[in-house]
Amino acid sequence: MTQQSLGEFEELVLLMVAAQHDEAYGVTILEGLEEKLDKKVNISAVHVALKRMEDKGFVKSRFGGITEDRGGRRKKFYVITALGKKMLDAQYDLRNSIYKQIPKISFG
Amino acid sequence: MKIQPPKRPLQFLRWFCREDYLDEIEGDLIEVFIKQSETSPRKAKWKFAWSVIKYFRPAFIKQMKQQPNPYGMYKSYFKISVRQLIKNKTFTAINISVLTLGFTCFLLLALYLHDELSFDMFHRDAHTIYRITQRDQQDNGTLRNISAVAPTIGKEVQEQFPEVEDMVRLSAFGRVTLGNDPTNRTHERALSADDNFFTFFDFPLVEGDAKTALKEPFTIVVSETIKEKYFGTGSALGKQIWSGYRREGQPIYLTVGGVMKNFPKNSHLQIDILFSDATWHSLYNDYAQYVTTEWVDTEYTTYLKIKPQSNIASLGTRIDALVKSNYPANREFRSSFTLQPMQEIHTNSSQLESAADEFNANGIKPFYLYTFAALGLILLITACLNYMNLATAVAIKRTREIGTRKTLGAPKTQMVAQFITDSMLFTLLSLLLSVALVYLVLPWINIFANKEISISALPVEWLIFVVVIIVLVGVLAALYPAFIATRVSIVDALKREIKIGGRSFSVRKALLIMQFAISVMMIASTLIIYQQLNYLREKDLGFSHENLVVIDVNSRNLRRNFETVKTEFGKPAEILQVAASTRVPGEWKSFPVATTRSSENPTGSEMIFVGIDKDFLETYKIKLLAGRSIEDPVADSLKIVVTQLAVEQLGLISDPIGQTIEIPRVRYGERMEELEAPFRVEIIGVVENFHFESLRSKQMPVIFGALNTEIQVIDYYTLQINTSNWGNTLETLKAINNKIDPDTPLEYTFLDTRFEEMYVADARRGQIFLVLSVIVVIIASLGLFALVSYSVESRLKEIGVRKVMGASISSIVALISKEFLLLVTIAGAIGLPIAGYFMQGWLQEFAYHIPFGVLVFAEALLVTLVIAFITITARTIRAARLNPVNSLRSE
Repeated sequence: MTQQSLGEFEELVLLMVAAQHDEAYGVTILEGLEEKLDKKVNISAVHVALKRMEDKGFVKSRFGGITEDRGGRRKKFYVITALGKKMLDAQYDLRNSIYKQIPKISFG
Repeated sequence: MKIQPPKRPLQFLRWFCREDYLDEIEGDLIEVFIKQSETSPRKAKWKFAWSVIKYFRPAFIKQMKQQPNPYGMYKSYFKISVRQLIKNKTFTAINISVLTLGFTCFLLLALYLHDELSFDMFHRDAHTIYRITQRDQQDNGTLRNISAVAPTIGKEVQEQFPEVEDMVRLSAFGRVTLGNDPTNRTHERALSADDNFFTFFDFPLVEGDAKTALKEPFTIVVSETIKEKYFGTGSALGKQIWSGYRREGQPIYLTVGGVMKNFPKNSHLQIDILFSDATWHSLYNDYAQYVTTEWVDTEYTTYLKIKPQSNIASLGTRIDALVKSNYPANREFRSSFTLQPMQEIHTNSSQLESAADEFNANGIKPFYLYTFAALGLILLITACLNYMNLATAVAIKRTREIGTRKTLGAPKTQMVAQFITDSMLFTLLSLLLSVALVYLVLPWINIFANKEISISALPVEWLIFVVVIIVLVGVLAALYPAFIATRVSIVDALKREIKIGGRSFSVRKALLIMQFAISVMMIASTLIIYQQLNYLREKDLGFSHENLVVIDVNSRNLRRNFETVKTEFGKPAEILQVAASTRVPGEWKSFPVATTRSSENPTGSEMIFVGIDKDFLETYKIKLLAGRSIEDPVADSLKIVVTQLAVEQLGLISDPIGQTIEIPRVRYGERMEELEAPFRVEIIGVVENFHFESLRSKQMPVIFGALNTEIQVIDYYTLQINTSNWGNTLETLKAINNKIDPDTPLEYTFLDTRFEEMYVADARRGQIFLVLSVIVVIIASLGLFALVSYSVESRLKEIGVRKVMGASISSIVALISKEFLLLVTIAGAIGLPIAGYFMQGWLQEFAYHIPFGVLVFAEALLVTLVIAFITITARTIRAARLNPVNSLRSE
């Protein structure tokens, strides 16, 4: 299968990376997700998703500078790639097109 | 205060996480943690740990480093190790000799221990065989342990107790005369056994059938040695051999029922001639009654084969009850019985008195076994400690190599691997050498220890165990220098300015102190043992035992006509004196101890009783102080001569001569006999004190009576001879003996030899200690040499500067020696008290021993110091002689 897949959680993380363009790193993504989803998310899950998407080429990363408050550890910022954006668009289009086919159903 | 994330999970994370992810993950984790800590610090910690665990998945774990071609690396390690070995020739030689010595000692002691522990284990049923031992409460309250019991016990126990599967009884009745014909005969030690002996034990027969060999009366089974002696190389089965006379005078011929392979040396039974028990039944009419009714005698060594899982302790108490119910009504039953497992017979029989000493032959106390095992381990450890010291000293010389390796990015593991390769090379080389050495020295050791040890006898498990221990030790010894060497900083290493921290140097000092403590201990012990042995040899026993040949009286003819015998023995010119007596000093048979009382000492004291003739005192050069000696056996039969000690104990110091004393009872060994009426005798002379027994026991008072009293009959002739031509003299003596008594062969002993034999075990211990101390001292000295080398090596510049400033060679040697000699002195302070403690215990075994003084310890310390000083000087003098230009030029 040439078409690369994007899992549901991965999609959410990718959306968040795109939304926080150039400002996204582990913790901000985590907080964004927690706020939007209104539930606790484990940071490791975010990292796993990010690493996978980086392997797939949906995001790319760069290191930030050293700051004191992170135990001297650098931040790693993520940016969505063109491929990633295309993937999101495709996903969005797919959903939209199917959504549009839904007849008018009224639920009370 | 800043909030810190929990330490352990963080360490764990850093340990497993990929380096390139670590910044991001750790950073993020800490950030989240800090934020959460603001609300609930405890929960945050748990959450942190939990998250860390969640990262532990393949995507985040470090890749195991792959060696592109590990073989190449090992080859390089090996090459470097070999080069190192060749480069430091002195160190290599010392290292290998130290390790080889240590390993050899360890191997030998393992072999020795295995041999001791495998004693008697060659019988298939060794684990189910037990020997009945008896413990008697004696009149004087002491306990007597015997490894033999009454003849009925074995039979009854087998019949009444179902768990007893089989039983065999041995009787060590003494010696027999054997010969191809009555004129050519020798005394041989013999035992008799029940006919199932060869099915009970697994002593293989070369000829004859195991089931029937001992069935018939007048059959004997002989060892191969005895067979060859009497029958030559051919078959002996069914052949006859002459053995003495019946009471009525007809000769007795024995038939050979079988020939047994010579007993292995690791058997507690050492039998050459075995009579069938049936022989006694034919020879003595009342024997059958004796073996079925006798419950008191302790003449039969009885072995039982017991079904597995039986309660051994309860069997013992049931035997107690059985014997008690059959005990003669007129005797008080004060015995108890235990079953001694076969595997304990060799190691745990020293307290047992047996019907014949051969049952306990070679017995060595478990304490000494453990001491040997401990010594083996100590030697091994010492050798390895030295290796550690040496390897560390060499590692320091290799700092540039280490530095280069570090610079080029060698990880710790690789450097450790290099050191382990080094060490393995040394270890394996030494192991090979020591195996070769063991092969070389084993024949000597076997002769010395009277054993049949061989490497091939060692089971595979033992071999593997020994080799694993040695290899393990080799690896462990490599870890310390590796640890030291890999810890140093690259810059220091490259500048060749390694400073081994003060702490680790003191570790090596401590090792040195330990080794020298052991050395000084061994030296002191050896000195004490040898001084004591010398003392025993030199001590004036109060009589002369030089050039005295003692002839054992074994027949009635020799006993009855003692005056004629004496004259006959006295005829040849080389025989200077002849004396007859019931017992002789240094006695090896049991001797009578008479309870003697006087008007001043009505309860009486125990005194050794010896019957003598008129020449005895002169032959033995015992000094008569007052009165006269026994002159005529009949006229003086109620007279005695006593030692000064006897006079003192009898309370007759003022005027002993003419006093009458009484002997109400006599003790023969452990057996006490009341005389029908007290033996009343008059003191006619007083002699100087002398030692009748070995110097282990306290000097006892001795009383000399006439020969042929009711206490004991004549048993020995003592000849004072001129030893210049002993071979001829012996032939003359044999001829005389043959003339007087053609039936019994001459049996003689040199009294000197007899006295030497009393201390033969001690002399052997002395030799073992001597050898071990030499080895220990060599190992320790080599260790010292290595440490001094290191010290000198790292102080070359200092020595150079000192020389330039005008220091003499001797002052430089003194400078370096001082420190090490101090260490050796400290070692002495530790080792000497320990040696003192142990040696005092050993000396206490002797009633007469050398004074336990400081002098011997001072000597031991001095010897050690001298050895240490020579070792140190040997190394320092070279450094001190060096031209300072050489050492200073490099700056």
